[in-house]
Amino acid sequence: MLPPVIPYHQVRDDLWRPLAGVSRRYVLTLSFLAAVSLWGLVAWGYQIHEGIGVAGIRRPVFWGLYLVDFVFWIGISHAGTLISAILRLTDANWRKPVTRAAEAITAFALMIGGMFPLIHLGRVWLFYWLFPYPNSRLLWPNFRSPLMWDVTAISTYLTGSLIFLYLPMIPDVAQLAEHATGWRLRLYKLMALGWSGSDREWHALERAMKLMAGIILAVAVSVHSVVAWDFSMAIAPMWHSTIFAPYFVVGAIFSGLAGLIIALNIIRKTMHLEDYLTPHHFGNLAKLLLLMSLLWLYFTFAEHLTIWYGNEPKEMNVFGARVSGRFSPEFWTMVVVNFVIPFILLGIRKLRSITTATIASVGILIGMWLERYLIIVPTLSLPRLAAASGRYSPSWVEVSITVATFSAMAALYLVFSKLFPIVSVWEFEPHEMEEE
Amino acid sequence: MSLYLAGCFAEKQEAVQAINQFKANGYGPDDLTVFSDEPIEFKRGVLDRPSHMSLAVVSGAVIFFLAVVGFVYYTQHAYRVVTGGMPIFSFWPTGVVFYEITMLGAVLTTTGWFIWESGLLRRDKSIPVPLIEPEVICLRVRCTPEKLASAQDLLEKAGAKNVVKLVRKAA
Repeated sequence: MLPPVIPYHQVRDDLWRPLAGVSRRYVLTLSFLAAVSLWGLVAWGYQIHEGIGVAGIRRPVFWGLYLVDFVFWIGISHAGTLISAILRLTDANWRKPVTRAAEAITAFALMIGGMFPLIHLGRVWLFYWLFPYPNSRLLWPNFRSPLMWDVTAISTYLTGSLIFLYLPMIPDVAQLAEHATGWRLRLYKLMALGWSGSDREWHALERAMKLMAGIILAVAVSVHSVVAWDFSMAIAPMWHSTIFAPYFVVGAIFSGLAGLIIALNIIRKTMHLEDYLTPHHFGNLAKLLLLMSLLWLYFTFAEHLTIWYGNEPKEMNVFGARVSGRFSPEFWTMVVVNFVIPFILLGIRKLRSITTATIASVGILIGMWLERYLIIVPTLSLPRLAAASGRYSPSWVEVSITVATFSAMAALYLVFSKLFPIVSVWEFEPHEMEEE
Repeated sequence: MSLYLAGCFAEKQEAVQAINQFKANGYGPDDLTVFSDEPIEFKRGVLDRPSHMSLAVVSGAVIFFLAVVGFVYYTQHAYRVVTGGMPIFSFWPTGVVFYEITMLGAVLTTTGWFIWESGLLRRDKSIPVPLIEPEVICLRVRCTPEKLASAQDLLEKAGAKNVVKLVRKAA
């Protein structure tokens, strides 16, 4: 039996309803998230005042949680733009209620991830020394440095993602402007750029979105490749690998999808969008997640097999620490939550549901965070020079900043979903439900 | 002075019929504008809007690429360092920077060209825009005062409801 067709007026009312009014629960949640985020800023302020020494990073582990968080959030950012771009290019009809929620994740995750190189800088107030402008200090900007690659890659990706999020919002904000008052009216009118719904505007928007999807896809792949090259350009054990770039891209899409499923489930429940974010959408996303889980396993296996078979002593030090040494609890937890649990919950059709997809996704986010930790910390703890080996334990400053980024992400998302329809109204055609 | 008429259609086919009749009566694509609350796809030849967006985007990307290559070359040579015989400006190791800025050029050109081609910021604000109801297609026709009656007739014959004369807004 076909699901019922939702009339256009109802679609608009349902998707605009969450924008009206602010509930007590919303205020409390936002206040809590803002407080935790603020605590993170206080911790960062303390680090700026006291110096980078208050973080747990010490020689030889000079990249700790900050770099783990950086790679993690850049990975999460692949939730939206990449997934949305692929689905737009392939004209997958089921993507329509999913894309905006996904694109918003990208924009906010990039904003958060992009802050970590700054947080990681010893003297952050001198960050502009990285820019190649004429100066009297005879600074020589090294464009061949992967740090410079990061700056350009993330700037391009953030710019592209914000535009990719904004362009399809124009018709919606134009409609909202017709019904809004006060500051919302001014905001929507400003963002609508005078949109009138003419065929010229629609044609230009559709062309621009097709082109942007192609461009952003190429940029997204390059961004996580560049993040991978930050590691693989170094001749450090278990980093100097040719498959690191695709391995990172796959991991990014994997964690991004997991983040998207969690966000969609929360949106669905809290905004009562059960008719729009249906089990059909979650089913498709869950299948994609399962595919990415298998790909992740393949890359992880390939990476570890070649190291083990090569049996190079310095590489094997790190390999051993990961698989059977002091990092083995994290390693095997990662394998269980990234592969075993998703394989059971999503691979067996009877078990696959919105709840199990969300449970698997939460596990995957934990697993992918651990994966980044396992890439960074064991290699730096066990460098090629055995005498230089050391241990790492994060300080309260690093933990506070890490926790704050998660709450900042949730807070930004909450605010966004109060200002704009989280499901694109104009893209959600009334006959959509019928086609499913 | 131009006048504007607007008629609304419940079916796409009726709107197509009206557009074809106007074209047969000497109206050009610039005289006809379709308004809707969702994108309407017409068959090729009905109301084509030629676009140079792809070409513009490629050109934008090429310009940004050349600019960034020139910029890096200039910057690397502006701060000379002793490199032990290695080139001060080396193309391939800087490839990521070139690639990203090239793509940034493509992104910015797409945005700029979208704003230009859609006419969003350069539209004459005095030209009236019909109010669009959901799931309705509105056709706005620009005509001379002499052709007003015949244009209204064409719209009504094609099945347009609520044919109205739109009043130019004060500048």
